[in-house]
Amino acid sequence: MSVQAIYDAVVEFDIEKVVTLVKAEIENGTNVSVILSDGLIGAMDEVGQRYTEGEFFVPEMLMAAKAMKAGLEVLKPLLSQGESEKKGTIIIGTVKGDLHDIGKNLVSMMMEGAGFEVVDLGVDVDTEKFLTTAKEKNADIICMSALLTTTMPFMEVTVKAIREQGLSYKTMVGGAPVSEDFAIKIGADGWSTDAPGAVETARRLTAK
Amino acid sequence: MEFTKLFTQTEVERVHEASLEILENVGMLVRNEKALDIFAKNGCQVDMETMMVKFPRQVVEKARQTFVPSYTFTAQDPKFDVTMPGDRPIVVTGSSAPNIIDPKTGEERRATSSDIANIAYLINELPGFDVFSISTLADDAPEGQFSMSRFYPALKNCKKPVRSNTPNMDDLKTVLELGALIAGSEEAYRQRPFINHHYCPVVSPLTFDVESTEAVIYLIEQGLPVYGTIVPNAGMTSPLSLMGTLTLGNAEFLGLATLIQMIRPGAPMIYAVLSTVADMRTGAYAPGAIETGMMQMAHTEMARFYNVPSGGYIGLTNAHSNDAQSGYETGMNTTGALLAGADLFNMGGLLGSLMAFDFGKAVIDNEIALMLKRMKKGYEYSEENLCLDLIAKIGPGGSYMDTDHTMKNMRSIAVLPKVATREMRRRWEDQGKPDAHSRAMKEANKILSKPNKSRFTEELDTKVRGHFPGLVAGDVDWSL
Repeated sequence: MSVQAIYDAVVEFDIEKVVTLVKAEIENGTNVSVILSDGLIGAMDEVGQRYTEGEFFVPEMLMAAKAMKAGLEVLKPLLSQGESEKKGTIIIGTVKGDLHDIGKNLVSMMMEGAGFEVVDLGVDVDTEKFLTTAKEKNADIICMSALLTTTMPFMEVTVKAIREQGLSYKTMVGGAPVSEDFAIKIGADGWSTDAPGAVETARRLTAK
Repeated sequence: MEFTKLFTQTEVERVHEASLEILENVGMLVRNEKALDIFAKNGCQVDMETMMVKFPRQVVEKARQTFVPSYTFTAQDPKFDVTMPGDRPIVVTGSSAPNIIDPKTGEERRATSSDIANIAYLINELPGFDVFSISTLADDAPEGQFSMSRFYPALKNCKKPVRSNTPNMDDLKTVLELGALIAGSEEAYRQRPFINHHYCPVVSPLTFDVESTEAVIYLIEQGLPVYGTIVPNAGMTSPLSLMGTLTLGNAEFLGLATLIQMIRPGAPMIYAVLSTVADMRTGAYAPGAIETGMMQMAHTEMARFYNVPSGGYIGLTNAHSNDAQSGYETGMNTTGALLAGADLFNMGGLLGSLMAFDFGKAVIDNEIALMLKRMKKGYEYSEENLCLDLIAKIGPGGSYMDTDHTMKNMRSIAVLPKVATREMRRRWEDQGKPDAHSRAMKEANKILSKPNKSRFTEELDTKVRGHFPGLVAGDVDWSL
């Protein structure tokens, strides 16, 4: 019942309430993976759905993701290694030369909201940095974002490097100028028009 | 012509004061090291570790003293040189779209260097456009020739001022090498620098980037023409109020202007913006929204306070085809900006919020440009133009059709559109009910089917191609 209250508090983006309720539920002895999947992640699926249907505006989606993340922080120390890893690890950043990070930040939040381990490298990230971090963190997906049409070519550079080095990381690309055709052309594994779509794509790419 | 005013003098001064407060108390994050040095040497408080720069108000006010009121776009052919504010409104194409609407199929695809050659020739011939900002990228660019595959076809086919950006310093220097080669020598090029550089070095909120800032510093040091556009997006990178976004954007303009004036006092600048309000339902970018026009009007009023030319990307559309939305978004926003006194309109040819070039859109925007120029020309108030003698002579019940006065004015007093229809319905039906887009495409075809007389001479082209091996063809290649 109270897992439902956590779910509701995330959908109402009430950060304090989420934290209080998660703590209470842990004390009640509820299985942490149930709190995670039925409470927090389930709520974010609902949030994504409401956004897709036009009911939620972007700031509401962002605030819900923040509430979810606050709950996740409480939960994290209690989650077993396997539980935090099972969804997959994502490396994300804007490409070299591009400092426009709003879309990237939103995707990053939504990915965390969906239970992925997210390593956010910030802005102006070159190929080497993407690859070293991916190796270090044993990543599943490298997500690259660009707003400027002139920085888009760097996405292809990274995708090429992954292929040439025979690495198995999946790649996703996003940002205003990125289209499906572009993603296919440069050999990226996935792309999306918005943040909830990016989560769906990441789930598809990491499905075993 | 009196310009529209949105604010009282007190309100304008308050926006300026508030901008100074932002620069002094909040400061800017400066990610470029050269810029950090310049700010430190010229009186700003600089934290080299955090890259935070705070601007004491006297530092900004000192920079303001060397602002200059004019900016010139130089062309390969001097007859196309234009200077603001005298030649206002200066109409420029929108730039750097990755895609083009294929003129044959009507489908969107990646743009190529041949497309750029076609567009360059079209813009050279359309009288409403003053400056060709290279409209698209070139998907067929050979390795290492990203910028050359854009500037070469543009300069080869258009004698008007050419404007664009480069993604890094190597590309910038190669493009300048091309300029010197065309001019005959580096010295000749510096006397008439016909490549006009543009960057967005400030990323809102309050951040200088690395590469674009580097390019701006280099060009200002070299005395070459460059200006920046400030691009806050309300709700995303600036406050979700028009006043908040105006003030933040104004502070960012002052930050950039201060950097420029520190490097070369008196360097010409444009107060250029693309201030928008995001569509918070989806976060969608909305340069076609009416608020973009409102923001341009207010920034223009601030530019007049600083006595610098103003303008920006105004007249863009979110529409994906050359339809009614495309027309009303471009039309309403540019009209507002013109009435507020904007000098520069980056408006031509792009659909889908800067994503794709469309030939028909460019031809319609040419007509909108001619209409804007007509509005600017205005009433030409004079005793003579009251025509009192003529009115008395014709008297009640007569006609003005066969007077010398009408004969003298009939080709100049009104815009004579080539796209807008004024036919009776029956005749229009007989022509197959062509809409504005198909009439515009017909105009584009008429221009592009003829050989380009403004192309490089064979001699110059051989010289350029010899100097830069492996260049794209860069020639007009048109068929419908």
